[in-house]
Amino acid sequence: MSVAELKKRHIAATATVNALREQLKQKRILLLDTDVAGYARSQGRTPVSFGPTDLVCCRTLQGHTGKVYSLDWTSEKNRIVSASQDGRLIVWNSLTSQKTHAIKLPCAWVMTCAFSPNGQSVACGGLDSICSIFNLNSPNDKDGNLTVSRMLSGHKGYVSSCQYVPDEDTHLITSSGDQTCILWDVTTAQRLSVFGGEFPSGHTADVLSVSINGSNSKMFVSGSCDATARLWDTRIASRAVRTFHGHEGDVSTVKFFPDGYRFGTGSDDGTCRLFDMRTGHQLQVYHQQHDGEVPLVTSIAFSISGRLLFVGYSNGDCYVWDTLMAKVVLNLGSLQNSHEGRITCLGLSADGSALCTGSWDRNLKIWAFGGHRKVI
Amino acid sequence: MLSILVETMGLLCSKKQHLSEADAEENAQVDNSALAAEIERRIAQETKAEKHIQKLLLLGAGESGKSTIFKQIKLLFQTGFDEAELKSYIPVIHANVYQTIKILHDGSKEFAQNDENSSKYVLSAENKDIGEKLSEIGGRLDHPRLTKELAQDIETLWKDAAIQETYARGNELQVPDCAHYFMENLQRLSDVNYVPTKEDVLYARVRTTGVVEIQFSPVGGNKKSGEVYRLFDVGGQRNERRKWIHLFEGVTAVIFCAAISEYDQMLFEDENKNRMMETKELFDWVLKQQCFEKTSFMLFLNKFDIFEKKVLKVPLNVCEWFKDYQPVSTGKQEIEHAYEFVKKKFEELYFQSTAPDRVDRVFKIYRTTALDQKLVKKTFKLVDETLRRRNLFEAGLL
Repeated sequence: MSVAELKKRHIAATATVNALREQLKQKRILLLDTDVAGYARSQGRTPVSFGPTDLVCCRTLQGHTGKVYSLDWTSEKNRIVSASQDGRLIVWNSLTSQKTHAIKLPCAWVMTCAFSPNGQSVACGGLDSICSIFNLNSPNDKDGNLTVSRMLSGHKGYVSSCQYVPDEDTHLITSSGDQTCILWDVTTAQRLSVFGGEFPSGHTADVLSVSINGSNSKMFVSGSCDATARLWDTRIASRAVRTFHGHEGDVSTVKFFPDGYRFGTGSDDGTCRLFDMRTGHQLQVYHQQHDGEVPLVTSIAFSISGRLLFVGYSNGDCYVWDTLMAKVVLNLGSLQNSHEGRITCLGLSADGSALCTGSWDRNLKIWAFGGHRKVI
Repeated sequence: MLSILVETMGLLCSKKQHLSEADAEENAQVDNSALAAEIERRIAQETKAEKHIQKLLLLGAGESGKSTIFKQIKLLFQTGFDEAELKSYIPVIHANVYQTIKILHDGSKEFAQNDENSSKYVLSAENKDIGEKLSEIGGRLDHPRLTKELAQDIETLWKDAAIQETYARGNELQVPDCAHYFMENLQRLSDVNYVPTKEDVLYARVRTTGVVEIQFSPVGGNKKSGEVYRLFDVGGQRNERRKWIHLFEGVTAVIFCAAISEYDQMLFEDENKNRMMETKELFDWVLKQQCFEKTSFMLFLNKFDIFEKKVLKVPLNVCEWFKDYQPVSTGKQEIEHAYEFVKKKFEELYFQSTAPDRVDRVFKIYRTTALDQKLVKKTFKLVDETLRRRNLFEAGLL
């Protein structure tokens, strides 16, 4: 068969796939008679009441000399690691605001960082296409710097996001600009599985974010510039379990819902969505009307019960959404002491009592539930 | 064995911490303050030390010459490449040879199938087997070392009339610019004791992954200047630039490489897209990025050596952007005229894409041939002067 003929058949096959996809989309729309908020309203539920004193900025962590791009809490103690454009990782004690480590990275262009489950190592990655691991207990070199203890190389594009598998200090998943996700064995620096890439059911554009299911660590979800989120089973690398359509722009962030049966996504289209893992349905859209340019969603996190969804935006706003009623109950960006630039990352402490946000204004801020406010 | 011992010790130590956590934290309050202060001092020191380093970002479409400029800077202002580094390029150079001959061989087959004058692209009978063998080797991920035998086969195939005809239409395929150079040097490249020359290294073509950086200080001229530059080549990222370009906010200058010889070639990533149009779109996009509002732009109109040979044979107007081009003379005069036309197009594009509040941003155009070391050195001296003048201006001293 000649090259020209192959090209023609490829175009025809693509058209067929797109037509089928459109049919599926229409069928889903028919099946979705209501969304979470609609159903909750019909059940007489009311939005959570949140006042400006319910969540206050109790700490500002200063020290980075460049934009903050990523942060992560430890899984038990109150420590935070942050990554910045200044080429550093800083580890903070969130109670005292003090820095316990500052790591000058060999490649300054870092985009993500994560704590290991035992809190003894931090992983980071960025434009160097490598995920580097640092052991916080290692001695410093003569310049006072920690040396890399492992370099996980194999990605052919930037490392956009990384997360350790819960309770497994030796396994970690990365997402990359090369359209794949990789499950690594940290001790041997080997790639255990590659999700996507040559296989048809992978992302077709840069993968920007991963989130591992806290209730079933064999499942994880990834978000990509191809406007989809994909669910993966780590035991089956050859194809995604399901692809979730709906967003109209890059899916820059994904996070599993606390019960592990749903997950949230945030996108450049300005919306967040809640998807059901098993049926594949889009359960809810979180969107507020704006005049002018639509701010991009950069990061999301669920509160400990899932009733609240914290969303960081490119214009410095940080909305607290009532996930059930799909209403914004508070905008941290309008409070005193809020960030002065794009929010790039946010995360909840392990016990859910504090939220940390990171911004292009070079600071991190810790927000705690104030006074008698119950943590939900 | 020692590493296991050390690791276990580390684990034991941390276990202790967990148990007497409460006590430790209280006692450690004072210690932590000292540690935190030490960290802040170190950060301040490092930041101060880096302040005078001028960061330069190399941008440009694939194969625009960024990596070659990068290698030249290394050769000019650092210690160059030592023998080990030179030898490390051997597999790359050999891979380039195999890839080139494969592209030409497969290309000749494609032309033979689709073109009306198909017969001139058909390999002579005795070379068919060699062709298939080389095509197979070229498609592998790992290539065998280039032996005298293989070099002989490649040379035979290269000299086949069909391959030469295919090479003449190289712009329709993805024939790399180093093709001719390597094909003419096969004997030397396949020598058992081959050590690549600096020129070989400059021609070697490898897709950079990730980001490479180099720090250097242009000495000579005014030695007291003490300017230190750090040059970054992010060429290897073949993905959405918008997802990482903002990391570079605050760099002193963007060096944008545009290969002006590519006006009749298609992209490697998309054979229906003209390379010059891609460069035009990329330049436009970069100029509009908020993170570069205050950044100086140095535009390198690169590959002039190939441009001057091509422009008399292939008219500029095959490229949509240059469709209003009218030749006025011949020979050297015409080449200059064509070059000035292209330069003017880029200037117009710059001013169209630059918001009124950014017009005092520095913008300079340089004609370059990345492979010409003297020219790169001269060009860089001019860039250095421009940036130093800008520094003084911003410091209020000019």
